Amino acid sequence: MNNLSPDRTSTGTLATGVLITCLIFASMWMIFFVAPTEATMGDVQRIVYIHVAVAWCGLAGCLAMGFCGAMFLVRRSLEWDFWSQAAGEVGWLCSTLTLITGSAWAHEAWGTWWTWEPRLTSSLVLWIIYAGLFLVRSSIEDPNRRARIGGVLAVVGMSDVPLVLMATRWFRGVHPVTPEMDPRMRLVLLASVISFTALFAYLAVQRRRQLELSERTAQLEIAAWSASAPSQS
Amino acid sequence: MPARQTINSLWWLIHKDLTRELRAQHVWPGMVLLGLVLVFLLATQIDLPLDQKARVGGGLLWLAVFFAGTLACDRSFTGERDAGCWQALTLYPVAPSVLFLAKMAVNVAALVILELVLVPAFIVLSDVPFAARPGPLLLIAALGNVGFAAVGTLVGSLTSGLRHRGGLLTLLLLPLVVPVVFGAAETTRLLLTGEIDSLWWRWIQLLAVFAAVFTVAGAMMFEFVVED
Repeated sequence: MNNLSPDRTSTGTLATGVLITCLIFASMWMIFFVAPTEATMGDVQRIVYIHVAVAWCGLAGCLAMGFCGAMFLVRRSLEWDFWSQAAGEVGWLCSTLTLITGSAWAHEAWGTWWTWEPRLTSSLVLWIIYAGLFLVRSSIEDPNRRARIGGVLAVVGMSDVPLVLMATRWFRGVHPVTPEMDPRMRLVLLASVISFTALFAYLAVQRRRQLELSERTAQLEIAAWSASAPSQS
Repeated sequence: MPARQTINSLWWLIHKDLTRELRAQHVWPGMVLLGLVLVFLLATQIDLPLDQKARVGGGLLWLAVFFAGTLACDRSFTGERDAGCWQALTLYPVAPSVLFLAKMAVNVAALVILELVLVPAFIVLSDVPFAARPGPLLLIAALGNVGFAAVGTLVGSLTSGLRHRGGLLTLLLLPLVVPVVFGAAETTRLLLTGEIDSLWWRWIQLLAVFAAVFTVAGAMMFEFVVED
């Protein structure tokens, strides 16, 4: 695997992890103690600060997965596939959190856990597309073939992102688009989006590294087996 | 390759698949029968006043069509792989995009056959007046067929070479074609309730854009599929 970068451990990784944990705690503190209580919904509205942040990360994950999948198809370097899978997995986690937090918010705002509203539906479809893609990937053993098929599906799967973004505007949905907000609310929302984006990026980097090491281990095992095979026979 | 030669190759590839299907009847009878079973089951579940049937009938019809249509997409490549002809097909001196368009056209033909059977069957079993305005219905069917077949052909080609592919195509394809299913269902509902307004045209635009984007994207990406 000549195209894989050498293993790099790091105090930097640990320090970044600690920094991002602090950022997440700081944004949580801001959500509960800086953001004013919303007049109509009360404290339940605070879910929005997390919901918007993870929803953004979920969409970004899907776009990153598609972009890296396309880059693999062009460059044929497994490095891009590792990025694609890592971004997709973390994006899928964020999509799951988006559905859970959105459902909790909807229960208070609309009186139901779920409604077939365009944005909700397209978000659920995105989640299913992610899940199907991972299922296909897991059924292919050859890494290059897995990367190629995963890359094509990731590019196709990206088609749902514009639908999620524009669903409410195009199809008269009831999902809030850009509601009026107190400046402090906007500040907290911004802080939450930044901290969750940092967490998303950190997790994606760590997962990519894990995938790379896993592939290198598999290659070493094959090489060791090949070297020992003649002597056994 | 000159345009005329490309069109000739496209036609012969379509001709090959249609001839094989008409002779051996590997896929279409099973697909139509599955569609009929679905229509029968769905029609028995909508014992409602006619105006309410019109609201849900379109969605159920298209669900039956597209669900049964996954069989055609699934078999469009496995036939060649099972018979060991896939390598020969990929060696055929045409661009991969031509191969994709030929397979897609055969899948569109399969969907048309399916609709020619299922729409009358649904009308008979449920009394929903789908044929009251045939022009707009044909437009919905044409756009829906192209969009579904484009994605179905691409995904079918990807899953056809997998060892454990049982159910994978359906699992992947149906979420990806949700815009087509919803678009066809919603436009048919608006058509049957007489609400051809700006919203109807917006859904038609979505169907048209989806069909165009995935036909082009499928043709472009097919070269990455035929490497197996």
